[in-house]
Amino acid sequence: MLVPVGSFDKIQWLGIIFSLIILLSVIFLVRERLIKEKYSLVWLLIGVFVLVMSVFRGLLEGFSALIGVDYAPSAFFALLIAFAYLLLLNLSVSISGLKAQHKAISQEMGLLRLRVEELEKERAKAEE
Amino acid sequence: MRNKPGLERDNDRADTLIVVPAFNEQNNIVGVLREIRNSLPGAGILVVNDCSHDDTATIARTFDGVCVVDLPCNLGIGGAMQTGFKYALTKDYQYVVQIDGDGQHVPSEVGALFEKMQQERCDMVIGSRFLDVDSYRTTWCRRLGIKVFYCLFRALVNTKITDGTSGFRLYNRKSLQLLARFYSSDYPEPDAIVLLKKNGLRVAEVGVAMRQRENGRSSITPIKSPYYMVKVILTILFSCARARR
Repeated sequence: MLVPVGSFDKIQWLGIIFSLIILLSVIFLVRERLIKEKYSLVWLLIGVFVLVMSVFRGLLEGFSALIGVDYAPSAFFALLIAFAYLLLLNLSVSISGLKAQHKAISQEMGLLRLRVEELEKERAKAEE
Repeated sequence: MRNKPGLERDNDRADTLIVVPAFNEQNNIVGVLREIRNSLPGAGILVVNDCSHDDTATIARTFDGVCVVDLPCNLGIGGAMQTGFKYALTKDYQYVVQIDGDGQHVPSEVGALFEKMQQERCDMVIGSRFLDVDSYRTTWCRRLGIKVFYCLFRALVNTKITDGTSGFRLYNRKSLQLLARFYSSDYPEPDAIVLLKKNGLRVAEVGVAMRQRENGRSSITPIKSPYYMVKVILTILFSCARARR
């Protein structure tokens, strides 16, 4: 498919710039180890999706006709919301996992602290 | 010494650990610990200080022979109790009794829990405020709530439970082994009933006396209570939907 660079609309340019900002920031964040590769995948997908949809306008119109949406941009929004929803669900799962690990570590730490106190007491008694 | 079956002996309960979860209970903890000492002189006592910002831990440490675990973060009642379960398992205790740090559970009633466990040969005994109705005066609103939970437990796990949220409980080692691994943070008491039943363990209830709290306030206010009900019901439904472990 040929890309008609000269005939881009303003909104297409906006979409392209926006998606490039997303993609570059995600790549930067992963490179600096500020987010894990695991979590970057969904973000990269969103970036690529917005980029492709902005460059090839026909794709979006074809897609919205396919699913029976008259107004193409609303199909675009629906997809983006679906992405965001998946992303949030993914984060909730991660947070729950962290919470469970954090609980286990806190408990273990409390028990170990008690163990250290006991050992210190025993040692003090032995030294007397 | 701890490995002898504890049910046969009445006063010496060396194979039993009393777990006292405490969050900001500096005004109640002394009374609770003293009472436990008087009623159950042989039992081990573990205070789980759930990151209190008062002198709970310092006061508890002044008691000789009382062990205190300080949690680095506030984990809530579920996380605090589970710490006690884990401790009991590593120290080879056979039984755990939960007695809250706020003084509403009466240590002299622990004997009734043991009796019931021996009679019914079950793995967990719940001390119920509502089984002997006279001992606890309640509003109609609260009675309705109790009825709802009663029907729910009966329908879902086929057990008659009048006080599913009571924390005053006796666990044997079999149930501890399960709960040390799975004990939820938010509403662990009803969740534990379902979890134990689903795994083929036996649960029984016995009527006990409980006190109205002396110092401090209940976390459940009249405005919050319908909200509380919904959350607990949801917890019960979710634990039923969960697979066996």
